Amino acid sequence: MGWTQVLLAGLWGGVVAVERKAFLQAMLSRPLVSATVMGALLGDLRAGLYVGMLLELFYLGTANLGAALPENDTVSATGTAAAAATMAAATGAGSTQALWSVAVLLFIALGRLGRYGDRLLEGYMARLARVALASAEAGNLSRAVRQNLWGMWPHFLVYGGVSATCALLGFFLGPLLERLPLDLLRGLAWAFPAMASVAAALAAQGSHARRAPLYASLGATVVTLAVILVMLQERR
Amino acid sequence: MSTAPTLSRGVLLRVFLRSLALQASWNPKGMQNLGLVYSLFPALEQLYPDKKEQEAAVQRHLVFFNTHPYVAAAIVGGVLNHEQRIARGEETPDKVVAFKAALMGPLAALGDGFFWLSLKPAVGAVCTALVPVLQAWAALLFLLLYNLVHLSLRARFYWLGLSLGDRLVEAVARANLPTRGARLRSVAAASAGGLAAWLAVDLGRTAGGGHAPWLVAGCLALGVVSYILVQQRVPNYVVLYLAAGLACAAGAFL
Repeated sequence: MGWTQVLLAGLWGGVVAVERKAFLQAMLSRPLVSATVMGALLGDLRAGLYVGMLLELFYLGTANLGAALPENDTVSATGTAAAAATMAAATGAGSTQALWSVAVLLFIALGRLGRYGDRLLEGYMARLARVALASAEAGNLSRAVRQNLWGMWPHFLVYGGVSATCALLGFFLGPLLERLPLDLLRGLAWAFPAMASVAAALAAQGSHARRAPLYASLGATVVTLAVILVMLQERR
Repeated sequence: MSTAPTLSRGVLLRVFLRSLALQASWNPKGMQNLGLVYSLFPALEQLYPDKKEQEAAVQRHLVFFNTHPYVAAAIVGGVLNHEQRIARGEETPDKVVAFKAALMGPLAALGDGFFWLSLKPAVGAVCTALVPVLQAWAALLFLLLYNLVHLSLRARFYWLGLSLGDRLVEAVARANLPTRGARLRSVAAASAGGLAAWLAVDLGRTAGGGHAPWLVAGCLALGVVSYILVQQRVPNYVVLYLAAGLACAAGAFL
């Protein structure tokens, strides 16, 4: 087991959790980026990239509008990518689509859990706001203003901890997967492209375009024709 | 009319950088109020050397405030414009409160529509569609494309607010963000459709072995069916697990 990998997963998971809403929002926290970097940090770039791609599509339509809280796509991406990478490391047989499928099926629901966590953290933020107001009333302006920064650390600790736990779980799950029957492993390998196709369809729906079905079918037709043409060329 | 110190470039830069943490302590009651005060504080310190005036300035910005975090830069700049005039005695403090109240709603709608519902899905879909070609570089391209627009507009909004004050509305309207947003959403849909086809063919061919054509056709069909199911308000998770279960069973038993 690599404790360095668990630590790295925790650090990166914490950084992107802060970046997601509290600071900057330059999209380091989007699944495509956060999962790819997580995979690279844990020594399995390919797992991070493909898990990130699937989750980016799955969560493409989510948005933080007003006071509504969307699912936490970042913790879902960092947790799933961390688990996929450490599962592959634990098996020693390299990254496979079957492993990615297991990681996605087990950890994608972290998005929902993350939303619940975000709701709980709002209670802490409300307390900070009360302290700030009281400090401003008392004339302690520096203290009132500083409260804003105290809102960052819970995100870092909570979601960093979740990502580290997922990395740790991956080390235990990897050897168990090796004991699965070959037929089931093949089924799990088939599940990944199926889930990716579903996620892409969800992305087309989540694009919020007025004629989304038309544009999506157009894109799909062009790509399918291009692939068929390339395959025909290769046969010649 | 009194003479108040003008804001130095250093302070203006500090306010802009601090505005990047506008949502650090987003709370259900005041929403971005703490973030706004945190952003403005270096400027308020410089504009109001008198402690009482400084306290009053902080108090008037600790009230409810919520808008889109990027477009908020325009309001932060506009607030500085107003605060400078208040400090010079050219206008009353209620003007800046009215300015924020009038703009935060419309600018939030504009920012949500363009950044969250158009730019983010479009850049996300295009770069995800490029993963089969660019591999991990697609993630870097995502950051570059998105932040080229995000950071340049954020800085421009701040400067517009700072220099134009109340007139920033006309300048923001000239950017024509809703029309550009609609085009970006179409790009997102087309990229997602193209990627659905590519993933079905490429990943299906890799995982399918001898049954590759069946897996490819199955994935394409799943994509279409899942689109219809989600349109019928079937939850995304149900559709995803259903597709995984079907593919898993087919792979295990065929």
